[in-house]
Amino acid sequence: MLLEIIFYSFASVLICASLGVILFKNPVYSAVSLILAFITTGLLWLLLEAEFLAIVLVLVYVGAVMVLFLFVIMMLNIHAEEERSGFTRIAPIAIFLGLVIAAELIALYWIQSDQFSGLESISDSALSVDNTLLLGTELFTKYILSFEIAGFILLLAIIVSISLTLRSRKNVKKQIARDQISADPKERLRMVDIKRGLD
Amino acid sequence: MLTLQSYLTLSAIIFSIGITGIVINRKNIIIAMMCTELLLISVNFNFIAFSHFLQDLSGQVFVFFILTVAAAEAAIGLAILVALYRNKKSISVSELNKLRN
Repeated sequence: MLLEIIFYSFASVLICASLGVILFKNPVYSAVSLILAFITTGLLWLLLEAEFLAIVLVLVYVGAVMVLFLFVIMMLNIHAEEERSGFTRIAPIAIFLGLVIAAELIALYWIQSDQFSGLESISDSALSVDNTLLLGTELFTKYILSFEIAGFILLLAIIVSISLTLRSRKNVKKQIARDQISADPKERLRMVDIKRGLD
Repeated sequence: MLTLQSYLTLSAIIFSIGITGIVINRKNIIIAMMCTELLLISVNFNFIAFSHFLQDLSGQVFVFFILTVAAAEAAIGLAILVALYRNKKSISVSELNKLRN
């Protein structure tokens, strides 16, 4: 009974937060609403005994990706009202599309519900004893090639995003260390013999 | 009693909200990227629900890789967005009809 209460309360928070993502006019409110959605999703994953992934979701998404989103939103200086002025014209089509997709998926799950029978939530099974240990063992033995490819993809993401956003500005006063180091004192300083004048 | 269908239904609702958000929003690419994150989260939800109810750890490994690739995708997408804003001074979807100039 307690699990149902937790599930339905967090599920309603999650649905409200994701509606907030698409309905707020200000992108900053949308980003904060998405953060709430991620945290709620992490809590629901704890309910499904995926503890490691729940904490990874909160750390990586809330801690890194959403902060990046917020930085970009604040850096770009967007005017919210005029940017979303064409909101109402396409809205009925979009809502209809969303309702159709939701109805299709939910009907698919509940019409063929006999296929899901026999699958029960086992709370203290072998998988839930030490989630991080099991996941790490699986990841470093069976999926080691995929793991290294994932690391390479992250390296590629670093290189691509730095090279896309790097720019060299003109007319900026900055040090050029190479010129400073290679300067020769003989070029800078000239010793002059001063002849004594009248004595 | 929490069955597998409850979790799958919740994930389907989040998925349709994400698709609605992408279609409804013709002006702001950042909101479209956030809706993409919502879609990915609902797919991950499906993976974890099946992994729990089938007692199979492969679903969680897949979620791990999806999270990795999604983080890389978000970083590259935002970098493209910043480069775009520098060139066009706008991030509206309807103005992105030219590849050059």
